[in-house]
Amino acid sequence: MSEPVEVRGLAKTFYDENRGEIQAVKAVDFECREGEIFGLLGANGAGKTTTLRMLATILAPTAGSATILGHDVTAEPAAVRRKLGFFSASTALYPRLTARETIEFFARINQYPSDQVLKRVGYLVERFGLASYADARIEKLSTGMKQKVSIARTVAHDPPLLIFDEPTVGLDVLNALEMQEVIKEFRNQGKTIVFSTHIMSEAEKLCDRIAIIHGGRILACDTLEKLRQATGARYLEDIFVHYVKSL
Amino acid sequence: MNSIFLPIFLYPVLLWLVYTGMSFVAGQTEGFASRVALLAFSNEQRVFKIDLERDPRLEVKTSNDPLADIRNGDLDLMVEILPPAREAARLTGNFRVRLTYDNSKDRSRMARDRIAERLRLYRDRYLEQEAGKLGLTPAQLQQFWVETNNIATERQMGQFILGLMIPIFLIIMVAVGSMHPAIDCTAGEREKSTWETLMTVATSRVNIVAAKYLYVSTMAAVAGILNLAAMMFSMKSVLAPLLGERISTFSFGIPLRSIPLIIAVTVLLAFFISAGMMILASFARTYKEGQATVMPFYFAIMMPVMFLQVPGLEFTPALAAIPVVNICMVFREAVAGVYHWPMIAITLAVETGCIFFSLWLAATILKYEDFILGSYGGSFGKFFKERLLPGRGKRGGRA
Repeated sequence: MSEPVEVRGLAKTFYDENRGEIQAVKAVDFECREGEIFGLLGANGAGKTTTLRMLATILAPTAGSATILGHDVTAEPAAVRRKLGFFSASTALYPRLTARETIEFFARINQYPSDQVLKRVGYLVERFGLASYADARIEKLSTGMKQKVSIARTVAHDPPLLIFDEPTVGLDVLNALEMQEVIKEFRNQGKTIVFSTHIMSEAEKLCDRIAIIHGGRILACDTLEKLRQATGARYLEDIFVHYVKSL
Repeated sequence: MNSIFLPIFLYPVLLWLVYTGMSFVAGQTEGFASRVALLAFSNEQRVFKIDLERDPRLEVKTSNDPLADIRNGDLDLMVEILPPAREAARLTGNFRVRLTYDNSKDRSRMARDRIAERLRLYRDRYLEQEAGKLGLTPAQLQQFWVETNNIATERQMGQFILGLMIPIFLIIMVAVGSMHPAIDCTAGEREKSTWETLMTVATSRVNIVAAKYLYVSTMAAVAGILNLAAMMFSMKSVLAPLLGERISTFSFGIPLRSIPLIIAVTVLLAFFISAGMMILASFARTYKEGQATVMPFYFAIMMPVMFLQVPGLEFTPALAAIPVVNICMVFREAVAGVYHWPMIAITLAVETGCIFFSLWLAATILKYEDFILGSYGGSFGKFFKERLLPGRGKRGGRA
């Protein structure tokens, strides 16, 4: 049986008028197993976001292929999007909608069964502690509350696969910790999670398997324990530096 | 609710304020005495001179350099008495009057009109006196009288005024009604970072764009129709300050049978303008950039409307083939209850064609992911050069 996420030779080239062709991702291969948190660890500009955007069908690959729960990202983008929730710092919310309206809107547009939408909205409002603010406009909410609504929006249609692109960027410690707890909870519910970060401790704490990405290439991909064994380093930071320096 | 009620109430109030302001300014100009210099008047023109000096609307002034004073605005007009230009006319008592004024100044033009009126009265009196000396009565001298008879009904007069005004206001209102939604749902979404959120939802991009297009078109059509309704109700009171007593000869109303046609072309116009604005605004990265991108299109659709404010223009097949202009002409005729069905058919076909072309262009643009990512920095020209020109289009990927 195939894995929920299978990536084979995935590549992306951009064209810039001044710099010419830029190979942001160079033929990466990896797969994510059901119910695991798979981490893409890399520095800024390593190709994490481009890779995740290709998985989320926002960008089309220049070469290679990727399937999400059996659907090809190029051939069946709408089917792929039905199966995943995508969260990143650049996926904002509509400021003039209320929290409740936001969750309902995304549940409906993502084709969650219409007779169960309100029940789902009620559940998510309760789950994320939004009851007191559910009817307040997003623009009136604090950053932490917006973050919660944003997560609720991502899972509004209860997708089996979640993609989190640097979800803790710009958050304070408490909100970042809460985000990590939420991601663990989703894993415990059986969801498959692809997660990108440049924060080593976060990857260490959350990920079942880690792929180290640098310069658009995957340098290593395994469990933390096996990466330790392979490099002889204890901390992920040292493991990361080991692979990057060996280039 | 504000979006619905504001145009209904604000629009008549704004128009009333504008016209009241115009009437006030016109009244102010009327109230000024015209400053005139009288040059080379002899004893033979004494009566005419006294006539001018007694007119309360004129202020006779002396000037060492009347031309310079007129240019500087210190004097409005110079009246010069000269000998007749033609030799044969140089009889005793004959003279020529030269009025020197500055046509670029309102006060100067008004002084010219006032003096011309005094001259006409002076000449009429003179002719009556001379005719009396020859034993002719004023009736014998008059010979014939001119009487005009306007057979247009009050309703037709009102429709004539509406036909001139409605097309321009309607196009402005439809354009304004679509501009802000078009920018907000494209460039505005990019600026607020909700664009990428939408790109990840489980529906095709064509569906997203179609939904946005219907939203913008609906807002544009509603804005146009609501403003049209507001104009219908408020036109008489709004125009009263401008038309004075003549307002009683106007009745503003549109034939009921024209309403479906007017609504249909308003909707078509809304679809066309919305498509154009959305295509241009979708290249922008911010709301401000979107405004800059859309403004040339706004002016492009307004320009022909300005030139069409000519009464008596015929609705020809050539005009029916020009987008926006054809809609103006359909409006103008529909308001007057005139229907040139072949021209209307050409108009509907041309507008529908434009809408489909815009949608095709939008669908073509949407295929390029660098457009979706906002790589063209508000420039449709850059996109056109890099993507649509033959031999280009190999760079980057399609979404």
